[in-house]
Amino acid sequence: MSQFSALVRKSGYHAANSWRIIKEQHPFKRVVIVLFALGLEAGLFSLFKNGFEFLDSFQGIGSIIIARLFSVFFMGMSGMLVVSSIVTGYVTMFRSDEIPFLVVRPFPMSAVAVYKFIQSLGLSSWAFFFIIIPFVAAFAWHQSLSPLFALWTLLFSIPFLVVCGGIGVVVMMLVVRFFPRIRITWIAAAIFLVCILLPTVWLFCKAYPSNQGTSFDIGSLVPGFRLAANPWIPNWWFAEGILSLSRQQWVRGSMLWLVLSANAVLIVMTVEWFGERYFFETWQHVCGSRSMGVRNPVLLPRLDRWLKRMPGDIRAMVTKDIRFFFRDPMQWSQVLIFFGLLAIYFANLRAFHYDALPDQWRNIIAFLNVFSVSAVISSLGSRFVYPQLSLEGQGFWILGLSPTTMTRILLTKFLMACTAMVLVSIMLMGLSTGMLRIAVAARLASVGLVSCIACAVCGMSCGLGAVFLDLKQRNPSAIVSGFGGTLNLVLSLGFLLVTILPFGLIFHLDTTLGLSFQTRRFALVVATAWLGSITLLATLVPLWLGVRSLNNRDY
Amino acid sequence: MESKDVAIQIEHFTKKFGNFTAVDDLSLSVRRGELFCFLGPNGAGKTTTIKMLTGLLRPTLGSAHLCGIDIHAEPVKAKKKIGYIPDMPFLYDRLTTTEFFRFTGELYGVDEAAIESGLEEAFLLFGLMEHQTALIKDLSHGLRQRLIYATTFLHEPEVLFIDEPLIGLDPYTIRLIKNLLRRKVAGGMSILLTTHILPVAQDIADRIGIISRGKLIALGTLQELRDTHGGDTLEDIFLSLTGEEADACLSSLPS
Repeated sequence: MSQFSALVRKSGYHAANSWRIIKEQHPFKRVVIVLFALGLEAGLFSLFKNGFEFLDSFQGIGSIIIARLFSVFFMGMSGMLVVSSIVTGYVTMFRSDEIPFLVVRPFPMSAVAVYKFIQSLGLSSWAFFFIIIPFVAAFAWHQSLSPLFALWTLLFSIPFLVVCGGIGVVVMMLVVRFFPRIRITWIAAAIFLVCILLPTVWLFCKAYPSNQGTSFDIGSLVPGFRLAANPWIPNWWFAEGILSLSRQQWVRGSMLWLVLSANAVLIVMTVEWFGERYFFETWQHVCGSRSMGVRNPVLLPRLDRWLKRMPGDIRAMVTKDIRFFFRDPMQWSQVLIFFGLLAIYFANLRAFHYDALPDQWRNIIAFLNVFSVSAVISSLGSRFVYPQLSLEGQGFWILGLSPTTMTRILLTKFLMACTAMVLVSIMLMGLSTGMLRIAVAARLASVGLVSCIACAVCGMSCGLGAVFLDLKQRNPSAIVSGFGGTLNLVLSLGFLLVTILPFGLIFHLDTTLGLSFQTRRFALVVATAWLGSITLLATLVPLWLGVRSLNNRDY
Repeated sequence: MESKDVAIQIEHFTKKFGNFTAVDDLSLSVRRGELFCFLGPNGAGKTTTIKMLTGLLRPTLGSAHLCGIDIHAEPVKAKKKIGYIPDMPFLYDRLTTTEFFRFTGELYGVDEAAIESGLEEAFLLFGLMEHQTALIKDLSHGLRQRLIYATTFLHEPEVLFIDEPLIGLDPYTIRLIKNLLRRKVAGGMSILLTTHILPVAQDIADRIGIISRGKLIALGTLQELRDTHGGDTLEDIFLSLTGEEADACLSSLPS
């Protein structure tokens, strides 16, 4: 039996045991997760279906857009896969504790690289299926396609995943191999600029509506239309291949599948070749480049002046957490990517002449932007704020033994996260509403909403993070994907809905029906009172539960 | 010593991390059927040497042959002949002890019948029978260590590297492992182990090497070390060779 099949069997055992562990968990947790997943899928399906119907209402142009949208959607998916593969590929291939175990076994390095590549592909691709299932189902429903459409999609998905994930992993391996780690900050910034910012700016620039001439250019409507229809890129092979098979154009569909599969094989061979030639050396480099001399971030001495006013214990915790944040590229890069992309989008709102749209549309866009910022806050809260106490891990005894209280520890974590989130959110919403030139009341409502949401999300994440503290787990993803993490995400998203919808509704009714001054004022007062009380509740209750749990726990 | 009698042959091993030299021109050979104990203060270069010998690190200079095979030129061939037990071994938390045992056997190409018979024998020996269906994540540190020993002997390595073999083990397991190592050595296995527990080294080692700041500063049997460096116990010898820095620190302490 080959060693590779041993690894495959091991993965099988692993999956079976993970399933066993899931089955042993509380039914409530399983029910919440399943219901949440189904609800999200159903919601996305309904959203996509309504979107297709809306586009269809434009008759001819709508049908053209829908056909192109299929390709645009998968272009977005391919970008997501490439970026997530860069991150998961690095962690899986170069930071995994499993690598030393495998390296001392009689196992060729090329096989280790391919095995870890497949593993990272599995980790980065589950979200792909989660998102495409409702989209593809809505598309098939709208176009009245046969159920075989699902089979074609699955058939094309596998080589597509390998190609997109492989591109990300190859890029990551080349960067890690050929650039010294000492400049990782600059490399990350360069990759961020080259891979994310520049194409985004370029797409926005290309999407400026043309004022010259009367000819209609569909590519100017939505960024990426023209690029998505380029026959040299994998998403086009993917989208066109599925559509061809659905239209029973067997030769064309098969040819596109073969093109995609041939490229997938080429990618796997590239990973294997890299594994043979460079994997061990690169892994050595990553492991051996720990000591990088004295670290003295410029930011901290400046911050120190501010922090000196704080009590010693709080200052120590704040300084430590700030250092951890800046020394963990995973944290700051994700924050930068999420908020950076939103900032670019908001800064370009006038480029699309959104500020010239009627009040009703500007309000809808403004509240959608509130939702975007809040969704990012919610995901960052779940990803980084929730696990921060658990990640203190085996070092928690240091905090536990220090002459401070659990209340102070938790509140420090909360206030830090809250200050950062609220500041960034206010700046983003200020930019968004300023660009849209919406009414002052709506501006205040937007800024107030995101501030309250940021505050509540941080309260929930810190509080529930303390209640579901897991000091044994070192992997943040495992902490986040546990029961507490899932509950936190569900509650955060629920909180967004119950806070944004009332305000959105008031401003929508005001612009469409023209509410009287008194009615509008009354509605706004009620909504503000609702927002204030629910924010207080969502912030303080989890924090109180968290403090109580920390005080009652044995360490 | 004839080359066929040599299990581990290290020539001019040097490992540098930037400007820091962790191992400095180390040359050493270990015979077949010999238990060699590598001693040294923290940061002396013991683990780095073992990592280079197991192929986990590539030396900056020098080479190592295990049973005549260059570990860095023919790593896969050499690794079939070795076993390695690190001080804090990685184990797959979501495998059961039995699954992990079978998986390791398959990685080394051990046939299924041998895996099954080895499993029963090893699990009985290491007291793991009642934990056969337990997930590794639920095992205590001692049980995890016992499991790693059980799996390491499965493919019958000719050379075994052990980094701190007795950390976190109960007296029963310590005795078990000491006896087992001696028995394996009598059967022809070569073992290179590092430890800070000097009485253990004194008890079981055929030869002892002391490394300090990356350099091999003493080598021989316990008697040879006594004759060369004086002192009754291994502790006396070890401290006289490596304790200057510690003495200086101690003497600088206020009374």
